Amino acid sequence: MEEKLGSISQTLIEGKADELQKQVQEALDGGATPEDVMNQALVAGMDAVGQQWKAGDMFIPEVIRSAKAMSGAMDIIRPKLSESGGAGSGTFVIGTVLRDLHDIGKDLVAMMMEGAGFKVVNLGIDLDAEVFVDAVKEHKPDILGMSALLTTTMPQMGEVINALKEAGIRDQVKVMVGGAPVSEEYAEEIGADSYAPNAATAVDKAKELLQA
Amino acid sequence: MATTRANQSENKTPRFSLLSKDQKEEIYLGVVKTLADTGADVHNEEARDVLKKHGCKVDGVRVYIPQEVVLKALDTVPPTTTLYNWEGKENCRIEIGRTYFGPGPTPPYFIDPETMERRKYLRKDASMVARVCDALPNIGYVDSLGSISDVTNGLADLYEHADQIQNTTKPLMSWAFNVENARDEHRIGIALAGGEQAFRDKPNFVHYGEPISPLVSDKHAIDKCVYCAKERIPQVYTPCAIGGATVPASHAGQIVVAMSEALVGVVVAQLLNPGTCVIIGGMQSILDMKHSTYAYGAPELSLMSAALTEMVNYIGLPMFSQSGCTDTKKLELQSGVEATMSVHAAMLTGPTFVHDNGYTESGKTGNIFQTVLDDEVIGMARVIQGGITVNEDTLAVEQIRNVGPGGHYLYEDHTLEHAKEHWRPSLMNRDSYEDWDTKGRPTMSDRIVKKTRDLIENYEGPSSRVPSDVKKDIDKILEEAEERVQGKSQLH
Ligand code: B12
Repeated sequence: MEEKLGSISQTLIEGKADELQKQVQEALDGGATPEDVMNQALVAGMDAVGQQWKAGDMFIPEVIRSAKAMSGAMDIIRPKLSESGGAGSGTFVIGTVLRDLHDIGKDLVAMMMEGAGFKVVNLGIDLDAEVFVDAVKEHKPDILGMSALLTTTMPQMGEVINALKEAGIRDQVKVMVGGAPVSEEYAEEIGADSYAPNAATAVDKAKELLQA
Repeated sequence: MATTRANQSENKTPRFSLLSKDQKEEIYLGVVKTLADTGADVHNEEARDVLKKHGCKVDGVRVYIPQEVVLKALDTVPPTTTLYNWEGKENCRIEIGRTYFGPGPTPPYFIDPETMERRKYLRKDASMVARVCDALPNIGYVDSLGSISDVTNGLADLYEHADQIQNTTKPLMSWAFNVENARDEHRIGIALAGGEQAFRDKPNFVHYGEPISPLVSDKHAIDKCVYCAKERIPQVYTPCAIGGATVPASHAGQIVVAMSEALVGVVVAQLLNPGTCVIIGGMQSILDMKHSTYAYGAPELSLMSAALTEMVNYIGLPMFSQSGCTDTKKLELQSGVEATMSVHAAMLTGPTFVHDNGYTESGKTGNIFQTVLDDEVIGMARVIQGGITVNEDTLAVEQIRNVGPGGHYLYEDHTLEHAKEHWRPSLMNRDSYEDWDTKGRPTMSDRIVKKTRDLIENYEGPSSRVPSDVKKDIDKILEEAEERVQGKSQLH
């Protein structure tokens, strides 16, 4: 079985989405627990991807392939985990705030979060505070991510946080912010829970938030 | 007297060519096919209507532009447009073959000239940058290097425009969040020019706007494009394309997408008001696939900018390019290396405007010290661009005979005359070891800082010459904008 899990990790690192789903299904059919597949194969594989990326041995297009493959595998694993009472990696909702049209950074963060096992809902760009509030109500995410690349749209992230408060759901979700002009201090100022300067750190911070 | 034989040729400048005629044609066909088959999203009804009227297929916001419409538009692009400063003096000709280097717009951060630390960009920086650029001999036009953080949210563009236009006599490039602010900037231009017709005759700034890669002309960008076209404000309409992210990772593919989305603006503008000035091109570089940053110091920036310049000129348009930028966080060796590479490449291809001189940290921090460094590099690159003059006088065969073997040229009149042509550094150090030691061993960075601070302190700029009634008009426009913006935020 250990060998099988090792080969799942390898398939994940190579970013072969269809093959990965097949192997995951086979492992479950062969009696592996969803927890083992998740932790020993998938999480282990993505950890290796993360390390290789940081070391410069893998580059973004490869990492994204692995992340997409991970997301496909999680579609199979997630329902099984909740059946057995084990926690999946959580849900992450992300969007770019009102009057801001920058989307690549946000998309990168979304894909890397998928790679970390999160169920990700990518809301798009130029979004009203209401859209964020409704999405939090609907998807009940563990973390809400907001992206702003303009100094003029940054305050909108604070508006969303206020809207969450007004709706009485601020304490149901952790808020994470990012984008070119955003900083740790600014995140604190508007009452966000976390900030990350790039997608790799965003994943680390998200995991920290879940543990907190 | 002997005559020179026929068929002589002379290289007035170096010869540089990246793309062959066949390659240019192939890329051009890629653009034509993309506009016709893939089309682009245009978020402005008036623009879609005029496109439709001229034979484009319109499906929702998606517009497909057939080649004959592209050709028609290219036909009415003006070969030359003259710009003026606020005093009404000609300061620029926008045409192929004339190059103006300048800074770039809107980074959120700025290197404080005193503390040398990164901080938010402030209103006072805008006029300072305009003055310093006005003083630098090789900087050909002015832009801000930041977006003002200490004015009403949403009016950073307008205050920047108001302050910069008064503080320079060089060409000015201004951006705007939306068409309302663009209109107010126009009003300031009109106030300085002395009326609407006077502005039309002598436009005193260029508007800068950006469509979104891939292939989207969002509401704000295209609204402003339409406005500028109708009002005959010369405009730049260029994307900020990220190779491997918003456009293909292959350079030719990037150029196809970048040109296609920019041409949407050209077509709309020309159909609405034939003969209005539109400049295309735009920021071209790659996503660094390790750090996930948009790389401003990458050699690919120089390579693609050179190729795009050739392409844009190939179809008869003036090019907006970039150079002198870096991914460093403070002045250091890398700043100089990256800037030199891109400045030289730009010089060889000769775009009309070359922006971003003074951009650092992936375009997130403006650094006036970098602009001052770039000014020196541009001066050096100009020397190479100047080529070598070959004629009887410069061949100096006579002088060589006079001096003969073993003599020296120091006392020749010919030397006196021609040594004046040698480039003289203002920052590069050629001191003897002893002199350099006596001066306290200044590094390049030390010299840049000193020169920059001198200019900040001592160079005045022309703003005191702006008549007081015009200043009042400008203040009034700013006040009205404040009311407009505040009124709006109360509605929310
Ligand atoms: C590409 C670009 C554009 C493109 C966007 C295309 C697209 N499809 O997204 C276009 C051309 C449309 C554009 C338009 C404008 N832009 Co722009 N743009 C950029 C540029 C050059 C790169 C952004 C980018 O994609 N980087 C690559 C990605 C991968 O990085 P990233 O976005 O920073 O994301 C990473 C992190 O920030 C973080 N992150 C991002 N989001 C989130 C969210 C969370 C939750 C977390 C944890 C982390 C996180 O992780 C990401 C991945 O590592 C930046 C400069 C820069 N270097 O940031 C300017 C920049 C952001 N733009 C700027 C400006 C001014 C504008 C315009 C106003 C220009 C104009 N005159 O019209 C318009 C505004 C349009 C609008 N209403 O939004 C300024 C902002 C200045 C300021 N003071 O706010 C910048 C800094 C450029 C500059 N120097 O002037 N822009």
